[in-house]
This record gives sequence, structure tokens and C-alpha cells, in this order.
Amino acid sequence: MSEYILRTHELTKTYKNHKAVDKVNISIKKGDIYGFIGQNGAGKSTLLRLVTGLNFPSGGSIEIFGVNTETGLNDAQKRMGAVIENPALFLNMTARQNLEVHRLQKGIPGKSCIDDALSLVELKNTGNKKVKNFSLGMKQRLGLAVALLSDPEFLILDEPTNGLDPIGIVELRDLIKKLNHERGLTVLISSHILSELYQLATTYGIIHNGQLIEELSLSELDEKCQQHLKIKVDNANKGATVLEEMIQTANFEVMPDGYIHLYNHLNDVYTVSKTLTDSGLVIEHLSQNGDSLESYFSKVIGGEPHA
Amino acid sequence: MLNMIQAEMFKLRLNKSFWVILLTSLVLSAVMHYLAITEWWQVYNTPFDAAGLSEMNGLSMFMAPLFFNLMIGTLAAFYISTDFGPSGVIKNQIISGKNRKLIYFVKYIVYSAAAVVIAVLIPAVTGIILNIIMGNGGIFTFETITYLLGAYSLFSLQLLGYTAIISLLAIITEDSGKTIIFSILFTIVMYIVEKMPKSGIIERIYEYSIFQQFNQVLFPELGIESIMTGLAVGLITMAVLLFIGMIVFSKKEIK
Repeated sequence: MSEYILRTHELTKTYKNHKAVDKVNISIKKGDIYGFIGQNGAGKSTLLRLVTGLNFPSGGSIEIFGVNTETGLNDAQKRMGAVIENPALFLNMTARQNLEVHRLQKGIPGKSCIDDALSLVELKNTGNKKVKNFSLGMKQRLGLAVALLSDPEFLILDEPTNGLDPIGIVELRDLIKKLNHERGLTVLISSHILSELYQLATTYGIIHNGQLIEELSLSELDEKCQQHLKIKVDNANKGATVLEEMIQTANFEVMPDGYIHLYNHLNDVYTVSKTLTDSGLVIEHLSQNGDSLESYFSKVIGGEPHA
Repeated sequence: MLNMIQAEMFKLRLNKSFWVILLTSLVLSAVMHYLAITEWWQVYNTPFDAAGLSEMNGLSMFMAPLFFNLMIGTLAAFYISTDFGPSGVIKNQIISGKNRKLIYFVKYIVYSAAAVVIAVLIPAVTGIILNIIMGNGGIFTFETITYLLGAYSLFSLQLLGYTAIISLLAIITEDSGKTIIFSILFTIVMYIVEKMPKSGIIERIYEYSIFQQFNQVLFPELGIESIMTGLAVGLITMAVLLFIGMIVFSKKEIK
């Protein structure tokens, strides 16, 4: 069995002359919470629509649970749940009736799954209230319940916190983490609210103008975002020794490219540089690096902080 | 497929428009039959006259596409097209991994069943019951019941062809209002075609269309050739339009 839940190969979607998704290769491993970052109009929703079969690719291919044939993808989609853009609900039905339609459509035996899903999103006490009278947050949660009804292995959420209040956002985040930990649910979640994704995702994909700019793990992102002094000296090993013995810090790393990342003494650049120089080392590079997620994202897409 | 039919039936059961249309059909047919039976509404030269069932002339209005389309076109709008509307519930069906052709087929089956109930069963049953209540039960002999069953079976078959056209329209327009408007326009165009003088090929095509057959199949004492023509036209129209609808839906980009 493939270790990847989702892989796309050169996936492309063209509308007239506009490439909404341009040769995107993403890989999502089992158990990942994949944060899909991009500005409005970057191509996030289009890609999710392609993956869920709502739209058809103009080029490239999609592989879900290791299969990429049309029939195989249909079967794979039965193991998925998704909320794309707005939750798709029957407004004149109650929450329970909405779930009953989807239970019947999916051929799920027994009605206990409806109670389970309603409990999970805390909508069990909505009674005969019609969905048209729900708040946006309640609709979002019901949309999530629909997606979770068949106990999917892979969940796709497109901007799921739209309309949620701060408590609702925290609850959604906790729910996703819980499902990920307890059921091993793999999640692909798109958002342009980076702080929200940062607290949830284990892997990130950054999309801009339809192109996947970068894919990185949480630790790689942390590393790139963590404030540090980036030092290059003519002898990295000796530099490390000087930092340990003279500056008395172990909070640094020697990177494979020979650069030293020093994570403290950020406000003491003069001392660091003088100590290294006094030890006979030649400083080839010394700069302060690291970003907030927002500024890192902005730097990657080559623009002003915006997302 | 059975579970998908159950889901569509559940949706239909909770669809207010369906119940309003059903009730409208019931009330209208009761009124039409009453007026026809009491001869307040005088209708002559109908197929029912020829079959010795003049008391059932109230059905005449329900035989005209211009009239029954108002009900089943509206049903298509509020049952099929709304799935594509702002609620976007069609997305969930597709995301669930069901074959798109099957999704369309199931919608067509349930919609057509509802259309037959509204445009055929309710008017006919209402007429029969009202005639029995008003003391005309004697008109229902073995011969007249056989005629009604045969004529209505063939009429229903043409109706299935018609619902295939309207289903296709509903998924192309994706909008309730447009579905109603275009279905009315379509029936008006077909009515104009029926009334205007037609040249050879157009005449021939119309003759073998369900619109001509809606009238033809109700006449009693149809020859075997006419029955076969009615069967073939209804079945071919249904099969071709259903096939086109399934292809269109399977290639459709969902907004």
C-alpha cells in the first residue's frame, strides 16, 4: 500500500488562457495534516476541486490512495470526506435530515453514525431547527459532520474557519487534531490565515499564481522562521568550538552548507563577531535571519506580507 | 443504486415544491373533472369521447404539454436545478465518489416517477373516483378500463421522453428560474411547430416526435403499427435524451 494518501503529478487546470493550477506536484503522506497556504485566487480551491472530482484536470494526473484510474479514483473518493468552499447543505432540512440524505447516498448502514457526527460537531441539540436558520458557524460545523459521516481516512477542508468565531476556530482545530491523533485521519486543509494553519499543520504547501512554490515540514518551517544569527567563518568546526567555549552557548547548529545558525545572542552581534575574530577566524558572512510565518510566506511568494 | 434512489426519494419527500405541485395537480384535476362531468366546461372531440368515456374529458387539459409542463417543469426546477444552486449540494454527491452517470440516472428515475404521479396518476385516479362518486361508475367497463390502461401506458412512455428532455435542461441551466422559463419556451415552440404549416421533412420529424405522440396514443382502436410507433418514439426519445444527459453531466464542471 502506498505511503502517500494523495499525490499529484504535473497537475494543471487551464481556464481559457489562464492557468489556475500550473504543473503542481504535491505529496501528502498518511497521517499528515497538510496546510495548503496561498492568497485568495492562488489556486487552492481549484486544486481541491480537481482532487475531489468536481472539476477535471487540463493536464497531469491525480493519485489517491495509490490509484489514478477513473474507477480507482471514484472508489478512493468513497474513503474521503470534503468541504469545498461553502458547506453544501439542504437549507430547508434539519441537521439530522441533512445527514440522513448523505447517509443514504453513501449507503452507510444504521443511523448511529448520524448521532456520532452530530455529537462530534456539537450540533446534537438543534432539534427541528432548519439549516437556513443556522449561523454560519453552525453551517460550517454541519458541513464538517457531513464530511465525517462515513468515517473517512482522508479529509479535505477548504477554508473551514470562514464564519467561525474565535472559540469555534479553537474547537475546530482541537477536533481536527483529535481525529488526526485518535483515528489517524489525514487532513488537507487550505487557508490564507497563516497563524491558524501554523497551530495545526504538520506539513505545508505554498501555492502562488497556480504554482506550488514550496513544500516543507513543520520542523523545516520552524527552522526557517526561527530568529537566528547566520554565520559563515573560514573554519566551521573551530567556529563551533569558539561559540561553546568563549561565548558559552550550545544553542546553535552547524548546517550542511557550513553556515552556523546561532539561536541566542541575537542582540549581542558585536560580542559574537569580536569573539570569533579575536579567535583568528575570518567572518565571511554574518546576518540576522528568521521570519514570522507571514513574512516568510511573503518572502517566498515574492511580495508584501498579505496572506 | 438502491441507496441512491432512497436518498433521492427522501429528498423529494422533504421537498415543499413537490407537495405544492402535487396538491395543485390534485385540486386542478378535481375541479376540471367536476366541471367536465357537470358539463359546465364543455369539451368535445376528445379521444375519451371516441372511447365512450366523455365523462373523463376533464383529462384533456392534462394531456397538453403546455399545461402539464407548468407542473413538471417547475418540479425539475425545484428538485434537480436547485441542487446546483447556491446550496451546492450536488458537490457532496460527486465528492462521495459515486459514478456521475449513475447520479444523473437516479435523479432522472425519481424525477420521472414524481412527474408520472403528478401528470398522469393523480388526474386519472381523481377522474375515476369523482365519476364513481357522482354516479357514473357504470362507464368503467372492461373495455374502457383496458383502453385507459393502454392509452395511459403509452402516454406515460412519451412523458418519460419528455422528462428526459426537461432533466437535461435542468442540469444545463443549473438554475430554477431558467429551467422554468426554458421549459415553457420549449413547449411554446413545439406548440407553434404543431400548428404551423410544415414542409416534408419537418412534418415527418414532428410526426415521429413525442409531441405528436402525446395526442396520437390516446385515441382508441390504435392499430398495431401506431402502437409500435408510439412505443418506439417514446423509448428512443427517452434512451437518447437520457444518454445525452448522462454524458453532459459526466463532463460537467461543478461550480
